[in-house]
Amino acid sequence: MTISRLSDAQSFSLLAQRTGQLQVSLQTLEQEVASGKRLFTPDDDPLAAAAATRARSALAALGQYGSASGFGTEVLGAEDDALGQGEQVLVRAEEIATQQASSLLSPGERAAAREEVHGLLEALTTLGNTELGGRRIFAGLALDTSGAPFKAVPDDVSTYDPTTAYSGSTQAFSVKVGGASSERVRITTRGDAVFTSSLRALKDLWTALDTNGDTGGTLTELAAARDDLATERASVGARQAELIDRTAQVKGLTLDQQKALSEAQDADLVAVIARLTQTQTALQAALAAGAQIARTSLVNLLQV
Amino acid sequence: MAISSLLGIAQRALLASETALGVVGNNIANVNTPGYTRQVPDLESDPSSVTAQGVLVGTGVHVAAVRQVLDPLLEKRLLGAETERRQQGAVRDQLSALASVLNELDQPSLGDAVDGFFAAADALARNPGGAAERETLLGQARTLADQLQQRSAAVAALQRGTDDAYVAATTRANDALGRIADLNRAITAAEAGGERANDLRDRRRTALTDLAGVIGIQTVETRDGAVTVSAANGAVLVDGGAVVHPIALREQGAGLDGQALHEAGLADGTGGFIAAPAAFASGELAALAGVRDGDLVAASSDLDTFASTLIGEVNRIQTNAGAGAVDLDGGSTATVPLFGGTDARTITVLLTGADAGRKIGAALSTDPGDNQNALNLADLRTRTQAALGKATFSGYLADLTGAVGEGAARARDTAQASEALQQQLQNQRDSFSGVNLNEELSNLLRYQRAFQASAEAMNVANQILDELMSVIR
Repeated sequence: MTISRLSDAQSFSLLAQRTGQLQVSLQTLEQEVASGKRLFTPDDDPLAAAAATRARSALAALGQYGSASGFGTEVLGAEDDALGQGEQVLVRAEEIATQQASSLLSPGERAAAREEVHGLLEALTTLGNTELGGRRIFAGLALDTSGAPFKAVPDDVSTYDPTTAYSGSTQAFSVKVGGASSERVRITTRGDAVFTSSLRALKDLWTALDTNGDTGGTLTELAAARDDLATERASVGARQAELIDRTAQVKGLTLDQQKALSEAQDADLVAVIARLTQTQTALQAALAAGAQIARTSLVNLLQV
Repeated sequence: MAISSLLGIAQRALLASETALGVVGNNIANVNTPGYTRQVPDLESDPSSVTAQGVLVGTGVHVAAVRQVLDPLLEKRLLGAETERRQQGAVRDQLSALASVLNELDQPSLGDAVDGFFAAADALARNPGGAAERETLLGQARTLADQLQQRSAAVAALQRGTDDAYVAATTRANDALGRIADLNRAITAAEAGGERANDLRDRRRTALTDLAGVIGIQTVETRDGAVTVSAANGAVLVDGGAVVHPIALREQGAGLDGQALHEAGLADGTGGFIAAPAAFASGELAALAGVRDGDLVAASSDLDTFASTLIGEVNRIQTNAGAGAVDLDGGSTATVPLFGGTDARTITVLLTGADAGRKIGAALSTDPGDNQNALNLADLRTRTQAALGKATFSGYLADLTGAVGEGAARARDTAQASEALQQQLQNQRDSFSGVNLNEELSNLLRYQRAFQASAEAMNVANQILDELMSVIR
């Protein structure tokens, strides 16, 4: 548009319009500097707003997967400790079985060995009842308020039935470590599946000692029970490794999402401050030009 | 030529300069009056007369008319641009308000509430027997329900506000119609003698601009100076000094809050309602109705779809009798849903009371520590929902934010474009019809000098007469 004639209203409205636009820009830039963000409402950048919303929700989910992996690692660690101690119990039982296989031992020594096996039975039962944060790790992580899963070994061990000792949860406990419903990791094993063979082997050893039987005959059973514990321990270790992997993966994904979120909503401060300075200069120039317009009126020159 | 005619010429010149000075003074006085059109005195020389010597000599000057400097075509384009500017401006304002209501970037957002709910489900899955975890899940469910209700109510309030603005706009339009008819009458009366009622015309132009902002109009000026105003469908609104069809309102349909909404039409002679959608196809009324009946209803329906899917999915898992969902006490939760209501407006948490947390069906068996159903609930976070266009709950909200933001951004750009066009035309008008003080000041000097010179001519005539008189004495 060629302007050949400028009215006073026009020159002032152009000035007001220009300075108004610059002040709005300044205000937005100041807000960006103050908050470090460039997105305030979705219409600032609809695509970035959607991306930021997605990234925030993905971060919230990743936080949960991280917590679940951490929790699972902790539980599996406790199981690993308990199973390790269980193996030691069986190693000691095998030693006793080997020693007691000799016919040179006195009845008193045999009775002492029988009492020690009684103690080992109790120790294994305690391991089966291990708690972590008030929850039974070999009973589907049930709260300890629901009672011990393995019943205590009675004073008269002959009445003890290892096959019915377990009365805890029959559920295996899984944690959710990813978005898909298949991304679950089992972190518990039923106590009866883990410990019944060991308890039965110990009970058989106790019976052999009690009845002056052949303790050497229980060695195979004890070794097989210890193998069961070792196998379970290997499985626990494998799952623990999987969860540690998961935790690392979640950390990596979290960094990616944080980067995506930052790209979507954070202001480039260097660019913003440069633009802020630029806009301030433009506003000063516009105001100075406005003052000049007011000064160049014929009114000033006609005064006598 | 008679000396007395010199006196007459000087006298008429004085009068003409005086009038011209008055016009200039009026222009200066109105330099900041909105809608003022600058005026110029049309000076015309008086008819010459034949002297005793038989030659034609001029007899002076008079002001033939005081004319407005105006481009009628530009004025019509400005009315059209005003209709467009107000229409796009109204769309921008309403959609920007909607974007604020559904702003997922603000804290706390609906998305945060959804994430909070699923985080609580995850925590429950890690400790299904925990009383704190159960209470937290219910607390987060209440937060989510509250957030949905608030947003639903905010969209409904926005719609009510839009309808109020619609009603207010029709009142303004009727007021403008009345003013135009009144001014038509006044202008016709004032111009009956052939003069131009410039200031009344400026006021009528302002009234026409007000009306054009509300509905698109066409104007035709008749010979008597009146303007006939018709709507976009051709219906005559103002004819001469009478409003033929004022704008009428009737209640039409219910809003999101259940109260009636309004529809504008034309009133007939007896006050009856004539529906004329084509008459209201442009301007502020069209924009407000479009947003009120389109965008806001769609946004509300999106929220409802989200809420009903959430209610359905969470309850499906909570009450899953087939799989054996049970509460903490081993009781079946088949008839104990977590959420009540059917949409974003009515969603509530049904589990309340002292042991409400125990009623959450986190297990699929009566085994203590069973977390299988809590895991199923946590799985909802990433499960895509057919009802939500195969998006997850969070994904749907992100899409909604993007869509609402996109609508608002597009409306803002369109409004900027139509404002720029209107501003450009307004600049053209100001450039042509506005007052320039420097120009007026130089005109002031010009007519002042002419006045002084005419006075001098009268002085000379007087001196000549004096000398003639002295000869006689």
